[in-house]
Amino acid sequence: MAAAKRAALLLVLCLYTAFAAGPFVWAAMLSLRTTTEIHRNHFAPPNPAHWDKFAEAWFTSNYGVYFTNSTQVVVSAVVILTLVGSMAAHCLARYRFRLNRLIYFVLFSTIIFPPQITIISLFQILVQYGLYNSKLGLTLVYVAIQLPLTIYILESFFARIPSDLFDAARIDGYSDWEIFWRVSLPIALPAVATTVILNFILLWNEFLYAVVLITEEANRTLPLGIQRFIGDTQEDVGMIATGLMIAIIPVVVIYAFFSERLIQGMTAGAVK
Amino acid sequence: MSIVTLDKLTKFYERGQVPAADAVSLEVRHGEFMVLLGPSGCGKTTTLRMIAGLEPISSGTLSIDGRVVNNVPAKDRDIAMVFQSYALYPHMSVADNLAFGLKRRSVERAEIARRVAAVADTLGLAGLLDRKPHALSGGQRQRVALGRAIVRDPKVFLFDEPLSNLDASLRVSTRGEIGKLHRRLGATMIYVTHDQVEAMTLGQRICIMNGGRIVQVGAPLEVYKRPANTFVASFLGNPPMNLLPARVRKANGPLLVELGQHSLELAAPRYPALTAGSEVTLGIRPENIATAANAAQGGRFASIEAEIVQIEALGAESIVSARIPGVASELLARLGPDPDAALGERRALLLDRHAIHLFDAAGVRLARHDAVA
Repeated sequence: MAAAKRAALLLVLCLYTAFAAGPFVWAAMLSLRTTTEIHRNHFAPPNPAHWDKFAEAWFTSNYGVYFTNSTQVVVSAVVILTLVGSMAAHCLARYRFRLNRLIYFVLFSTIIFPPQITIISLFQILVQYGLYNSKLGLTLVYVAIQLPLTIYILESFFARIPSDLFDAARIDGYSDWEIFWRVSLPIALPAVATTVILNFILLWNEFLYAVVLITEEANRTLPLGIQRFIGDTQEDVGMIATGLMIAIIPVVVIYAFFSERLIQGMTAGAVK
Repeated sequence: MSIVTLDKLTKFYERGQVPAADAVSLEVRHGEFMVLLGPSGCGKTTTLRMIAGLEPISSGTLSIDGRVVNNVPAKDRDIAMVFQSYALYPHMSVADNLAFGLKRRSVERAEIARRVAAVADTLGLAGLLDRKPHALSGGQRQRVALGRAIVRDPKVFLFDEPLSNLDASLRVSTRGEIGKLHRRLGATMIYVTHDQVEAMTLGQRICIMNGGRIVQVGAPLEVYKRPANTFVASFLGNPPMNLLPARVRKANGPLLVELGQHSLELAAPRYPALTAGSEVTLGIRPENIATAANAAQGGRFASIEAEIVQIEALGAESIVSARIPGVASELLARLGPDPDAALGERRALLLDRHAIHLFDAAGVRLARHDAVA
């Protein structure tokens, strides 16, 4: 009976793994094949495997530049989001002050606006401040669009930290600033890791704001770079797949690095 | 010297609202173990937090060793506090929890290590120094919280219901440890609790609070034996003091009090405030009631007839409830393990005249002019 149960569980796990990993494996296979080979048979294994396509994509198809741009924009945005978001969340969760809940509500209510509504205004603002078509401009926009969700996730976690811990740290002689860095932030690390992964993946794949706010080749991010290989009449599917794999690798690395913390964040109940 | 003086300390959380602490005046002596005791919401924790510097003081003055500290931040008051929730930093090891306060005070690393090791030895935490709080039992966490206070060697220790998260047996042993700690350190300690057993066993003096105000301050037995009012009388003691409505029949000479259909002659003390016809509350503790079988000195007792309505045998003793004709509330008596009474029986209960207290209509204990109180 136990063996049958185990076998059933194993089957479910195998099916789920195939479902989750299938598209990833398929994209990986496509990335090692040329467009002609792919058109001949969509699902054939890469034989021979064209590893040289990665070098070609990186150097001749400009993926190196797109990758660097994406890294600069997304890493900067995630760092700012994590710092500003956790400080704001700490303040909103920890301190009693007038309009605390109103500020929280206003911040959070911006989540309801779809990007299509804000994008024109953002475009105009960036043009006005000379930030249009710049990586700095795109970074600031990314910070602005992701900050409410970041604060929302972190605030609920910070609010669960017992206030006795802050009182104990105050009696131990620490200032509010030190308490944030030495008590709040380390305790909230699982939640912070959750927002790092979430923001990184969302912004790494972000297309709409990038396509509107960046037009110069030198400032394009990876999703825009991949789009370049989709023409009006034909698509270089092979090169798109290679570009996708280059884009996916950092996400996988970030996820592998932070996943333990992410799980802690999702399952965290008691912080006592 | 560590004298903590509270002078009309008041705390309003919101303007116009009832104060959480209302003109609290108290002097805690050097090396004294003072317990703030009262029900939930009586203002004891608010008072403690004001002493700690965790709550701003609305009015009044707070001084430590003669220095007014109203506006001195918590870190500069040289106090340590043990919290109800222990408040251990969950991301730090036991050793780091103990050392956290010392690091901030720029104590040398070698000295920190020496002090942490000494405290860990004292509290039996030596083998746990590398563990995180989540890997400790409730009792071990409590000892780390105590250690964190001791390691700082502060002027004043503050305890905010430190035993309420422990199970019953651990509470008894930790209570003993805190008592020993006080005797060993000789430090000034202020301890907040709603548990009267903790207050009676630990406190050198007890400060009983109700509705944000101090009701009575005194040594545990003094407060128990001479409660200032009906609140203290009913709050201390388990079961609490019996409080029965009565009327003064004769105030001149031996005082006669009507209790239901009975007329009791008290132990000849004079109550200057009383006149015939005054409505009073008669108070007597359950242990001051006896049955004929175990009352040795007959003349000391006043006899009343009552119907036994309940007997709770607790092993070492029995709690007997009785109904006195004409009195609405039941009388509780603490009798021996094998009480000389049966359910439904109407029998004589003997009240120790010397242990009877009278309270006026406002519930304040009436002063009596006699040697025995």
